[in-house]
Amino acid sequence: MQLLLIGISHRTAPVELRERVDFQVRGVAGALRALAERGSAREAVVVSTCNRAELYVACDEAAATRQDVVRFVSEYNGVPAAEVAPHIYEVVDLEVARHLFRVAAGLDSLVMGEPQILGQVKDAHTVASDTQTVGPVLNRLFHTSFAVGKRVRSETGVGSGAVSISYAAVALARKIFGDLNSRSVAVIGAGEMGKLTALHMKAQSVQHITIVSRTMAHAARTAEAIGGASAAPWEELDAVLSASDIVITATGAAAPILTKAHIEAVMRPRRNRPLFIIDIAMPRDVEAQAGEIEQVFLYNIDDLQSTVRENMARRASEVSRAESIVRDEVDKFGVWFRSRGVIPTVVALRERFEAIRRAELERLQFKLSTLPPDARARVDEITHLIVEKLLLTPTEQLKSLNDADTVGAYSEALTRLFGLSEPEERRKVEPFARNRPPTTRR
Amino acid sequence: MNLVPLALYAVALVAYAWHFAQRNPVVGRSATTLLVAAALSHTFVIGMQTMEAGHVPMTGATSAISTFVWMLALSYLYLEMTTDERAMGVFILPLLVALQAIPAFNPSIEDRAEVLQGPLFGIHVSSLLFAYASFALACVVGITYVLLFKEIKAKHLGFFYARLPSLQVLDRMNQGAIVIGWIFLTIGIIVGAFWAAQARGGYSALDPRVQAMSLQDPKIFVALVCWLVYSFELFAARRIGWGGRRAAYLSAVGFLIVLFNFVPISYFFSKSHNF
Repeated sequence: MQLLLIGISHRTAPVELRERVDFQVRGVAGALRALAERGSAREAVVVSTCNRAELYVACDEAAATRQDVVRFVSEYNGVPAAEVAPHIYEVVDLEVARHLFRVAAGLDSLVMGEPQILGQVKDAHTVASDTQTVGPVLNRLFHTSFAVGKRVRSETGVGSGAVSISYAAVALARKIFGDLNSRSVAVIGAGEMGKLTALHMKAQSVQHITIVSRTMAHAARTAEAIGGASAAPWEELDAVLSASDIVITATGAAAPILTKAHIEAVMRPRRNRPLFIIDIAMPRDVEAQAGEIEQVFLYNIDDLQSTVRENMARRASEVSRAESIVRDEVDKFGVWFRSRGVIPTVVALRERFEAIRRAELERLQFKLSTLPPDARARVDEITHLIVEKLLLTPTEQLKSLNDADTVGAYSEALTRLFGLSEPEERRKVEPFARNRPPTTRR
Repeated sequence: MNLVPLALYAVALVAYAWHFAQRNPVVGRSATTLLVAAALSHTFVIGMQTMEAGHVPMTGATSAISTFVWMLALSYLYLEMTTDERAMGVFILPLLVALQAIPAFNPSIEDRAEVLQGPLFGIHVSSLLFAYASFALACVVGITYVLLFKEIKAKHLGFFYARLPSLQVLDRMNQGAIVIGWIFLTIGIIVGAFWAAQARGGYSALDPRVQAMSLQDPKIFVALVCWLVYSFELFAARRIGWGGRRAAYLSAVGFLIVLFNFVPISYFFSKSHNF
């Protein structure tokens, strides 16, 4: 059994192509069924997100299967093979494991360490599970990748720190106020920027959002667009500021609208409750000196940008620790994966022994027929137990092998010694081995 | 015997520091387990001393320190378990280790002076020790508040930003600890004054220590200063908006005075409290 990965991602293909090679458009489950019908793959999982489309396949012969899978990608999505081919990457066996583990850990993502990808990988596995296209190999591979994703998140800082401006602002607000759902937000300025930020705050389920604008009609319209927000006229600005915990300023004013003295005056009735001001206007709406006031935390767009940059740098510095976790897990998976090379031989050996037992019982059927039925059942049981006992140690020994050369040598020897049939012949009977136990008894 | 808790506190300190630096959840849980073990062994030691001496060992300065460390460890564990925040451990544990070193290397239990018998004295000492433990927690929480505050204010979000809970949570913890401490400090002082008045009227009125119990005695005077500092802190935080960083600074100053009163003054200056 070999592992094969065929895929395109943001690293190899432009968005125009990624849009066309998107398995989500026509349904991942349908794609899996279509691939299964072609019969070249024994197990398959499709991971399809806006940044990547990857087919993870377990097959007998990667070299033969890869052509068919590439053809499938082009045919299924209706994109000419010549167009897709230059952007496709393909890896086999343990490199597939390494790739998937890195993907699950967010190391291959556009934004280093982003957490959504792990959920997307899990979903991909669930869909394949429901469509019954995963077997023991991909099951093991994917479950290991979930564990890798978890380990990397908890043991390294690859996923820590906000890496977008809006999330950096929310993270800061949380560090100042703790829970945000008893907090009030004021948005000054009814433009698009202010509206977007207000929507972001609303998603954090803050208690109340008030929009203040020089034109009351604009404020009212924006408040309505956000939903659940209220509008206030410019004259009430001070009252709104006094009642708010988080203030977002996003007006188009040419000069600062909030001076240090102004904010000092607003702070007095608040009895110095902390005030977090996010100034996303350009030019700035709030005098920089206002940040000197005790209990006022003033961040402008550049400040947020630089915390984002710091977080990005911190994530990048954690990558080597994450990579070593990936290496560690690939090694562990490799031991298991290589030991699986022996399974066809084990199956063939068991089948051979069972066939001999049946043949002998059949040959003696005439003599056995004189026995009472329960005695005949005992004979059947005893012969079965003898075969099991004989096979127990060799099976255990074979399964504990973990390097490919030894596995090959043992399989070769057993095939000759016991006259086993070629494993390929048996496999062709059943291209999709669906979670079937490797042994067939009775 | 006080060496066992000291050793466990020290090991727990290492674990808390390691957890703080690496943020490994397994190390964090081990740190808590070690601290629980330290507190249990300390409970055992104090229990044994109580059986041996026939009274809780808190009449002398040295054994009072041991009891204080024990109360502080328990209060911190309570705080950690109710808030699920481990970051403060690395700040509390050095204090536990440093203070526990005094009784560990000086393990005598003082005989209880005749004059100190009676329930009022027990209430006096235990409520003050508990008040001091609360103030110690408030101080540590206050220090962490200032560290985090400075990082956010300076727009340089780094080490403490990633490790400490929010300013709001720290502020609430600080205020809560001060309120509890203040209540017990008040009870301790009032009961102490009441006890002293009784002692003066009783048969031990001629004891020079009882006679020294007045406002001129440094220990009593500094205790009242503490009370004033914390009363002001509570008032200022509620009435004039001195919450947050100023409250944190005040709680640090208050605890420095407490510590000063607790160790050097008890040992070297007080004429009324050297039993």
